[in-house]
Amino acid sequence: MNTEYTARALPTTIPEYLDQLRAALSGADMAMIQDALYDAEEYLRSELAEQPGKSEAEVIAGVAGSYGAPEEVAEIYRETEVTVNRALRTPRPAARPAPAVMAAVGAAAATAGSGPVLPPREPVPRSLLASFFGVAMDPHTYGALFYMLLSLATGTFFFTWVVAGLSLSVSLLILIIGIPILLLFLGSVRVLSLVEGRLIETMLGVRMPRRPTYTDRSQGWMQRIGAMFSDGRTWLTMLYFVLMLPLGILYFTVATTLLSTSLALVFAPVAALVTNQPIGIWIDGVNVGNAFWLWPLSVGVGVLLLFGTLHLARGVGKLHGAMAKHLLVRL
Amino acid sequence: MTELDAHLRKFQKELSTGTVSLALLAVLAKAPEPLYGYLIAKELERVGDGVLSGKQSALYPVLRNLEGAGLLESHVEPSVAGPPRRYYRINDDGRAALRQWIAAWNATRDSVESVLEGIN
Repeated sequence: MNTEYTARALPTTIPEYLDQLRAALSGADMAMIQDALYDAEEYLRSELAEQPGKSEAEVIAGVAGSYGAPEEVAEIYRETEVTVNRALRTPRPAARPAPAVMAAVGAAAATAGSGPVLPPREPVPRSLLASFFGVAMDPHTYGALFYMLLSLATGTFFFTWVVAGLSLSVSLLILIIGIPILLLFLGSVRVLSLVEGRLIETMLGVRMPRRPTYTDRSQGWMQRIGAMFSDGRTWLTMLYFVLMLPLGILYFTVATTLLSTSLALVFAPVAALVTNQPIGIWIDGVNVGNAFWLWPLSVGVGVLLLFGTLHLARGVGKLHGAMAKHLLVRL
Repeated sequence: MTELDAHLRKFQKELSTGTVSLALLAVLAKAPEPLYGYLIAKELERVGDGVLSGKQSALYPVLRNLEGAGLLESHVEPSVAGPPRRYYRINDDGRAALRQWIAAWNATRDSVESVLEGIN
């Protein structure tokens, strides 16, 4: 039945089988790969436990017929992913589909060769408390926080690059040498825009372009240069880079201030216990916060402030991602 | 010959995509206790013939879909044999859906059989 797969040697151990499966699935959605590996391991280990006399290699050879060889399994998962995506796009039917609808869906599925068309489960509404502290479980929170800290460096660089490049090339336009410098500068702005897009997608989770913008190579190079000037994106990108300096300073200042304040509040009692330094809140040289009962309050306020900071970071990340998307990939 | 084989495989695949979820729901509805993927696959292998005897790796995504649609419930238990196992159990929505699916299946089977009648 599976003659086309016998050419490749079957794996002899379960880790080898999983490695082959991972290789066969490479490029697919990471979550799906994780699911597929998990399912395969469960099946293989169960089969191994069911047949104590047999070696791992024998069990895997038997499994290739029932569960499937790694390449076949990868194929099945890839197909399922496609059909599930298709199913998720269909509008959600009524909570209890009528038999006629189900029959029609079944018939459609059979003709289209798609999998079971099942409506996605609605997300369970989370409590206010869970959603407040759940921000700590969101990887984009930390990405956004790191982006806020990093943006001081990138913002300074982008700002300097644009201001220096623009003033240098424009002032040199008086001489003929300004023209190639201007063109080089405009090209560099496009490359930097792509780099910033990669940073944003990695840290903020906003989908940004992975390839440079399409240039029509059938046009002459004079036309292509002209297009670079008339393209609004060139100027919007420069605007974005200039904006990055004040924004970067703001992000960095806000992130460091809030982080250090909240962490100081959380750990002040610990510092008071392990060191002999006087702990408190000094205003004008007077310690107004050295009362013992203030310690738990300090920790509580610190924790709230810390999670508030995380929320702020995630919000800033979303806002900044939206802004970058508009300025860098508008057209 | 290979052309015919390919047609047959495609047909079997299309048949199974529609029927596998019905079979999975039925197996879980009959089971007295929650089952995990491997046991469900073995159960289908034992009773199943024809399209249901396809590659068992195809069952796992369908189980996940059925759970995602709210027709099954699941919990995880540690196992000595390997990774923790996810046990599936049918819920009330699943049983209601199964009743409707059985009706739809019977209707389809009857009409297909009446169409096929007289062909040898």
